[in-house]
Amino acid sequence: MDYTISTIAPIVLLPFFAFVINSFIVKKLPKLAVGISCSAIFLSFLYCVRIFKDFVFGTYAANYHVHKVFTWFDLGDSFKVDMGIYIDNMGAIMLLMVSGVATLIHIFSTFYMKEDIRYGRFFVYMSLFTAAMLGLVLSDNLLSFFIFWELMGFCSYSLIGFYYEKEEAGNASIKAFMTTRVGDVFFLLGIVALWGVIGSVSFVDIYQALADGSLIGHSVIGISLTTFAAAAIFMGTIGKSAQFPLQVWLPDAMMGPTPCSALIHAATMVAAGVYLSLRMFPLMDAGGLTPYIAYIGGITAFGAATIALIQTDIKAVLAYSTISQLGYMVLGIGVGAYNAAFMHLITHAVFKACLFLSAGSVIHSLHDEETHGHVQEMPRMGGLKAKMPFTFLAMMCCTLAIAGIPFFSGFVSKDRILGDALVMASQSRVYWIPTLLGFGGALLTAFYMFRMMFLTFFGEPRDKSLYDHTHVEKLSWNRNIPLLILSVFTLGLFYCGSFTGQKIAKVPGVVDKEWFATLVEKPEVETFASYERQTWDFTDEKSAQTFNKSSYDKTHGLSEEDYHHAHTMHIIGAILSIIIAFAGVFLAYLMYIKRSLNPARWVSAFPRWNKALKNKYYFDDLYINIFIQKGLLGLNNLLAKLDMSFYDKYFVDGWQHVTRWAYTVSRKFDDWVVDTALVDGTGASVRLFNVILRTIQTGKIQFYFIVIVFVLGSYIWNLNIN
Amino acid sequence: MFTNILFLMSAVLTVGGAFAVILTKNIMHACVYLLSSLLGVAGLYVTLGADFVAATQLVVYVGGIVILMVFAVLLTGGSDAQKENKFGLSKIPLMGNNKTYTIAWITAFVVFMTLIKIISNIIKYYKETEVSAYTATVEKIGMLLVTDHVLAFEISSVLLLGALVGAAVIARPRKRE
Amino acid sequence: MMTLSSYLMISFILFLAGIVVMIARKNMIAMLLGIELILNAAALNFVAYTKFVNQNMDGHIFPLFIIVVAAAEAAVGLAIVIRFYQIKETIHIDDATQLQS
Repeated sequence: MDYTISTIAPIVLLPFFAFVINSFIVKKLPKLAVGISCSAIFLSFLYCVRIFKDFVFGTYAANYHVHKVFTWFDLGDSFKVDMGIYIDNMGAIMLLMVSGVATLIHIFSTFYMKEDIRYGRFFVYMSLFTAAMLGLVLSDNLLSFFIFWELMGFCSYSLIGFYYEKEEAGNASIKAFMTTRVGDVFFLLGIVALWGVIGSVSFVDIYQALADGSLIGHSVIGISLTTFAAAAIFMGTIGKSAQFPLQVWLPDAMMGPTPCSALIHAATMVAAGVYLSLRMFPLMDAGGLTPYIAYIGGITAFGAATIALIQTDIKAVLAYSTISQLGYMVLGIGVGAYNAAFMHLITHAVFKACLFLSAGSVIHSLHDEETHGHVQEMPRMGGLKAKMPFTFLAMMCCTLAIAGIPFFSGFVSKDRILGDALVMASQSRVYWIPTLLGFGGALLTAFYMFRMMFLTFFGEPRDKSLYDHTHVEKLSWNRNIPLLILSVFTLGLFYCGSFTGQKIAKVPGVVDKEWFATLVEKPEVETFASYERQTWDFTDEKSAQTFNKSSYDKTHGLSEEDYHHAHTMHIIGAILSIIIAFAGVFLAYLMYIKRSLNPARWVSAFPRWNKALKNKYYFDDLYINIFIQKGLLGLNNLLAKLDMSFYDKYFVDGWQHVTRWAYTVSRKFDDWVVDTALVDGTGASVRLFNVILRTIQTGKIQFYFIVIVFVLGSYIWNLNIN
Repeated sequence: MFTNILFLMSAVLTVGGAFAVILTKNIMHACVYLLSSLLGVAGLYVTLGADFVAATQLVVYVGGIVILMVFAVLLTGGSDAQKENKFGLSKIPLMGNNKTYTIAWITAFVVFMTLIKIISNIIKYYKETEVSAYTATVEKIGMLLVTDHVLAFEISSVLLLGALVGAAVIARPRKRE
Repeated sequence: MMTLSSYLMISFILFLAGIVVMIARKNMIAMLLGIELILNAAALNFVAYTKFVNQNMDGHIFPLFIIVVAAAEAAVGLAIVIRFYQIKETIHIDDATQLQS
């Protein structure tokens, strides 16, 4: 299709206009607002399908991209800010995922939020959020990326604090915003650093600068510029994608409504951080930051999995599992598994959204008679398989996917990440710990996800009255259809040509359609350096850049021997993953179904660990009590005291003394100089002259005579007589 | 010979009379000394061959003006008048005290210094010329008065008339009403 | 003996004496005496110059007029003095400071 403004911009503008219109009509016509929102996102989805079709099934080239630029403002003197749209294969896939998942969540929300009095307002925020996310995926430079990033942060804040009657919801929304803010400050710092050197922050220009080597030689506070900028931008990812150490906001973000959790904190916003790192991967690579990224990813993956072991709230389990899976994505970036990390992003979005929506469905069904609220605690659930069969089916599919069971998409992507981690670990010792953490996290993931399943759906119901009051689930279009559609996409078939992704168990006929692996290639800077930017114009001009169709390169550009080595490692990793996944499932089965192992005994065996996990490794404690209470508040008090006692007292109050002194001086001046000297002095001088002059005017004739004599005498004296 | 003696006597009379006028404390004495001084001046006129001027001087000055002054002195009560002025301060005595004399001598000195410049120049550059013999001047003066200086002559007569009338008017007794 | 300079000296002395009298005395009539001395000094100057420098007869005419004017002025002056005495009962010169009494 023709890529012009009228064909690309509606992707973003449709939800945006839905937001604008809804914000006016939501009070009076909430149902209409909901309809506008859902239809807007659905139309966007259709556009994204069109783009996806064009990219994936049309030109099918690895370096096919569309890049249109217009100047936002130009202040001359090399301060020119360009905005633009940049779609390549990765962008197209991401667009499809975002718009598709968003559409399904909008449909589910019509069921979930129906009884809420602020039904329409939810969709206002959701529309704005989807507009921002789609804009972020389409943006071609870091500045517009940052703008949409912040916009999404604002929507997250609004949606987390949606139930604003609860004080915890307000606190949680502020916590989320502030924590991501910390990361965003560094992100902005990185943008500015890059801008200062390169002169623009467009992705293509950054890649070009990396290829030219124009970033080498600059250094910021002793660190080379690439490392500094890469680290700064990665801090943005840490903040937004809830990596260690800024992961504290995501569990509290579960105070928001469940569809919001599904969209924002599972599928899209937290994925935006990973998307940033993927786009900026050449910079991270050139800055030598990849080992640190791997470590952070590994720590996050494993740590969050450990905390998830003891959680009792169903949404909390899912929140920690989100943090853990994001850790996997970051780990994948760190070990250089660009393709696998992106695949994990997509697959995780699908199954995590489905998990959250199913959890929402479960929560919505369990209606507590006494508190008139919904129940989220797993100890009160159990045996819900009979009452909610369709939800159970969807949730089962997704749990299998996340645990890493073969044939499912989660296995494909996670296994590829772990395989690449093994490859890197076999090459250097630095990567051993992240790899170990990754495999350990996989075990724990399988365990706790199945623990959740067993506690919720299997066994005897622990709360009889609650169980009796639960309605049996009926198949409804807005409750179950989204879940089922999403769970269909958790199958591994859609992403690769084989069930296992390693071409071990091949499905005949589709083995060579490894479209995902082909399309999304790890970006080498040389290929980007040769791109041309096209200016945006408003005419319908066919402007797609086409390159030679590249066939699927089996070896990914590696030499034959390296490829064989990597392939071996991948197979080893695959086998290990399968073993670990089944081990985890089995362990959970033993604990919760067969009851041969008693979890309580394990809890009492490690009391200190238990306490640490319950307190989420004391991170909240650290941040709130130590940093903020003691550190910042102490600083605040000091500054306030400084301001009041020193600055106010001397500089502000001191002015009164100055003014008073000035008044005194001025009064003295007025008295002495003006009044006495000038005014009185004039009179006095006249009197003085009077006194002097009246001595001549004596009235005495003899005096006059003397005067005449003297004058005449002086005249005659001065005559020149020759 | 005779003129020298006459000159000397007249000079002494003149200068002595002048100094006496300065120094005396009595107004009557001052008038008499003025009279003698004027006599001396008349004698000097004679030695200069100005016979008519000398005669006029004698008649008018000596016989008229000084007498007039004496009359005025007698009419105004002489030297002793009130000793205090209207403010209660003591007046300077009528014939002057040391202060006034000091001022007067200083002024005289200033004038002396001023005029000495002129006179010394004159004396320096004066060349002795031939002194002509004595001739009678009356006729010549008479001729000049009515030919060259007739205007001054007439005006002086008017002046005298005015003085006469004026003096009479000013000094006449007023009717006490 | 009878040189011009001696006559000039005599008239100079008379002139100075007249000035001294005019300033030093406080009696109105004494001041008039001083005036007479000054006038005489001037007239003597004229006549001396006629004899020794220039035999122009104007040098005799002018002293005549000096004498005439002096007489008139003395008459009027004394009349004023007498009038003053009639009003103020004094002839001290320091009492004659106001133009209007």
